[in-house]
Amino acid sequence: MFGNKHKWARKIGFGFGPNELPPTDVESWNNSQLTSNFKSVGVAKRSLDVGVWPEEYNFSFEDRLRRAGEYDQGKKEIEKSKKLTSVEKKKRVRTLRDQTDVALFDVYKFWNSAIYGDDMVKQRLAHFWTNHFTIGGGGRRNYVIGDFIYRVIYGNLNSSFEQLLYKVTTHVGMLDYLDNADSVGERSESAKWARRNGKMQGLNDNLARELLELHSVSPDRMYTEDDIRNSAKILAGWGANTDSVIRKFYREQRRDNPAIGSLEKFIYEPYFKDRAEPGRKIVLDKKFHSGKKSLRQLTTMLANDDFTARHLSKKLAIHFIGESVSESEVDFIYNVWKDSKGNLDEVHKEVLNVTARSKERKFLWPSTWMFQAIRFSGSSFLPGFKGGNASFAKAVPSKLNYEPKKILEELGNSFWESRQPDGYSEKKDDWVSTEHFDRRIKVASRIYSFQPDRQGEEIATLLDFSDNTKMAIDKTSSMRDKFIVALCSPDFMEV
Amino acid sequence: MLTRRHFLSGTGAGLFLSGYPVHGFTKNAIEGRIVVVLLEGGMDGLLAVPPIGDDNLFKQRRALVASNPLKLNPLFGVHPNFEKFSSMLLNDEASIIHATSFPYVGRSHFEGQNVLQGGMLEPFSIKTGWLGRAMDIANIAGKAMSLETPLIIRGANDFDNFYPARIKHSRLPSFETLRLIQSTHASKTAKVIEKLTKNSMKMGGVSQARDPLSLAAEAGRAMREKDGPRVAVIKIPQFDDHSEIGTDTGHHPELFTLVDRTFGKLKSELKEEWNNTIVLTMTEFGRTVKENGSAGTDHGYGSVGLLAGGLINRSSVVANWPGLSNKDLYEKRDLYATIDYRSICAACLEAAFGLDHDLISDRVFLDKSIPRTYGHIFG
Repeated sequence: MFGNKHKWARKIGFGFGPNELPPTDVESWNNSQLTSNFKSVGVAKRSLDVGVWPEEYNFSFEDRLRRAGEYDQGKKEIEKSKKLTSVEKKKRVRTLRDQTDVALFDVYKFWNSAIYGDDMVKQRLAHFWTNHFTIGGGGRRNYVIGDFIYRVIYGNLNSSFEQLLYKVTTHVGMLDYLDNADSVGERSESAKWARRNGKMQGLNDNLARELLELHSVSPDRMYTEDDIRNSAKILAGWGANTDSVIRKFYREQRRDNPAIGSLEKFIYEPYFKDRAEPGRKIVLDKKFHSGKKSLRQLTTMLANDDFTARHLSKKLAIHFIGESVSESEVDFIYNVWKDSKGNLDEVHKEVLNVTARSKERKFLWPSTWMFQAIRFSGSSFLPGFKGGNASFAKAVPSKLNYEPKKILEELGNSFWESRQPDGYSEKKDDWVSTEHFDRRIKVASRIYSFQPDRQGEEIATLLDFSDNTKMAIDKTSSMRDKFIVALCSPDFMEV
Repeated sequence: MLTRRHFLSGTGAGLFLSGYPVHGFTKNAIEGRIVVVLLEGGMDGLLAVPPIGDDNLFKQRRALVASNPLKLNPLFGVHPNFEKFSSMLLNDEASIIHATSFPYVGRSHFEGQNVLQGGMLEPFSIKTGWLGRAMDIANIAGKAMSLETPLIIRGANDFDNFYPARIKHSRLPSFETLRLIQSTHASKTAKVIEKLTKNSMKMGGVSQARDPLSLAAEAGRAMREKDGPRVAVIKIPQFDDHSEIGTDTGHHPELFTLVDRTFGKLKSELKEEWNNTIVLTMTEFGRTVKENGSAGTDHGYGSVGLLAGGLINRSSVVANWPGLSNKDLYEKRDLYATIDYRSICAACLEAAFGLDHDLISDRVFLDKSIPRTYGHIFG
């Protein structure tokens, strides 16, 4: 049923590297991939002995806010200094940025886990959901994107869609990116105060709109502008800009404020009653009372809507199976979604089952393609840590390594980039252009520079490439170019 | 300037007086060029080109009117950051279309972008773009100055993109290897790789910068070549701000400066080809007339289109002004779009490609009822 194991592992994960033994029982491997608790993401250089990602670089939400606060505060002090020249100031700010950075570690972890991690299927699912709930980087949001990916998305892969939707909607990154932090109920205490003082405060319906259009029911549900407006009213009061969360957290921490309990509530569930819209709201014919709990009721209703099940079953199918997925293939996933009430373990399991039966081919995202190329070939493009205790600075000499982040940006496929809330495209056409191929070919060449164990011809054999592609590899003169032809052929770009 | 009344009376008179070519006539002699500047995120047209003669403007959005707009006529002013564009207006080589939009009222970025690029009334109903279809009919080549190929240019037989890669320590392999990669792909993808191979042969002196201005410069350079592309698409993102969008200074005004310089750069790089060029901006929707609670505006309907290039002979502000009092607004919140922007795009295609209007209406926009506005812009 699962055919060539190497191909199967690429279809739903990142493929098996030269040092990885494909499982004998694929079905139980699938299940353990979906439900196991993986302790670490592996980070060793071309060794069977995969190390543990250093705990000190698993940043908690609090760590992130603290480091961002330290950066802001330190930068202010450096810039105030009268002794330093402007060149020295710049240099110190740069050093400070490297010392307090979080995003580059997150990106590094993102690469490492894809290339060395033992949880490849869960990661692919995390990529899918991170894209579904797009939040973009830029400014202080860079500090919280890793939290969004690892704690909220990855951390809820074994729960229900209902739970995931609520957690995502209430995360600071989402509330900030889609402007809900700026939305204030027009009849709220805060807006009344603002009006008395000649200021304006009001609703911003950006998040409400995307919550319905992209994240849950989709326009097929035929909701009205009133539904969006009332959802925005339910959402009003939720959120604070990442900047202000960082400022407040940092300030209170430094004061060693005994009210730290409420601070925790503030960062995990940033809700401000004085900005909330009082009164009842009606969304899709259902009544909601005022108060904080109404958002959970709203996301629960949306998560359990039939159109959400349909919309997301199709989206999952397209992501793993391919653009031309059939209605009946979607139906299998949809039925499981309905029966299990959006239990993600059940849904994901069915996605794998349907994928295994399908003959469709999926054109992979550039990032997925690249991670697979590195992992499958055994290239040490990203060196990883030797053992579990090497420091990040040693793994990447002298200063923080920006290349992993940059390459994802070059490929047009970085979760840390600012981008449209509908996320990266699932369509092949959107990824085929001269510039995209230019980048793929150059990245393939770069991967080859780090001594892959598997060469072009071996890759072609293991993955049952077409005769036509095998012939092209055969005709290519150098080992490097054979490798590039293999990686940039449809046989590797699609799976 | 055309107010509602003038516009209506002007339509007939203009057609009559200027003696436009009859349908079916194509101006094959002109090798016109089109540059589309996509303003992604929904530009606030009332901030860019404020209708300062409409008292309701100040009632509806007191804090969001630039303090010293350049006055164009009794009704309209233009934000002072449009410096170069203003001198183009004075030079009779630019025009403004106001209270306009693609016929899309859903206020979603994705649907809106899809409608304005696809050119269909129904979002996501077509996989090619209106510009691409027109290029296909006229057999014209184009270039997208971005990493991805925007929908607007899809459907064209001959297009390419430009957005220089920055991958350290890496370059393309030999032409022989590129050809072998090409041989593994099916026709459509193979064509893309063939193009890449061709491009890599003439690299050398190409600028590697890729901000909108550098891309505009590269587009201008490529388009002035004898066999260069005659179409370019440039994106200026980040108009999607909802809070503190700025009035005299700030985020939206900074973007105006960028758009303005893009016009300037295209003119200076196109050199004499500027005379055969029309540059037009497009944005997926305008913004709410009233400011929201956070000194910004939210997704709306009608906005503004900026046109420049030597194909224009006489500057004008073309508008059928709907008014800004509450009862004049679309759903009591948005500026009405009284001019279908498809008709403006059609006029630009007619001017640059020499295609017949009915053909454009029918085969590019797949809608026979698109009015001909050519005379108001190029007459």
